[in-house]
Amino acid sequence: MTDIRIEREFSVSAERLFAAVTQRAEAVLWWGPEGFKVTNDQLNMTTTGPWFVHIISPEGKNYKVSGHVTHVDAPRSIGFTWAWHDTETDKRGEESHVTMSVIETMTGARLIIEHRDLGDNETGTGHERGWASTLASLAKFLNQNDLSKEKI
Amino acid sequence: MMILTNAFAALSDDTRFAVVERLMKEGELPAGKLLEGVELSAPAMSRHLKVLRKAGLINQRVAGTQRLYSVRPEAMKAIVDWTMDHRMFWEASLDRLEAHLALEKEPEE
Repeated sequence: MTDIRIEREFSVSAERLFAAVTQRAEAVLWWGPEGFKVTNDQLNMTTTGPWFVHIISPEGKNYKVSGHVTHVDAPRSIGFTWAWHDTETDKRGEESHVTMSVIETMTGARLIIEHRDLGDNETGTGHERGWASTLASLAKFLNQNDLSKEKI
Repeated sequence: MMILTNAFAALSDDTRFAVVERLMKEGELPAGKLLEGVELSAPAMSRHLKVLRKAGLINQRVAGTQRLYSVRPEAMKAIVDWTMDHRMFWEASLDRLEAHLALEKEPEE
């Protein structure tokens, strides 16, 4: 239902950035937020084929994501499918698509991550604006309501 | 997970989506107020409100002869957490990638 596009500039060459993104030895070092650890993985994104990663949060919660690397165009881009597994049943959730592109810049290289949910293709993009404004309303709403005081 | 899929199913209807948006903007409202400006019969609105209530998106409160409706903050938070998940995941991962790549640029001791 949502498309995410994230860009980040790095002061290294496109080749260096592409290697850090796709090679397993480096990927395990940065996948997941600070404090998270990769505990088991198939994170080699240099060739097409299945991939997965198990990540543990600082609180000890385990997360699992898996998919298939669908294209590798070194040192420009990779594409892979993505789905979280249910933490209790291990059931694989709805699949989405991720594309990582590396573009050479004047000062180094830029990484563009596009995370696209499959749902979008099925329903069209008509809801996109609605979602954006709703999320803005949500943010405002949540700021006005201190959730820590709510009983759940 | 169960709650979220119910919530999205309930919100996939334009009328119900609009009701939730309005309740977020204007706060608690009586059913009569929700009918203003929309071409909908009272029983139809009542059915929509019931769907939203069953999905856990809104609360109903009885005050005298009025039924008042409001958004459930916990439900909204669950939706935000879900939609933000991936953006936060990638942003946080890129912070680490940035730190990792910056490390090798430091001079050797």
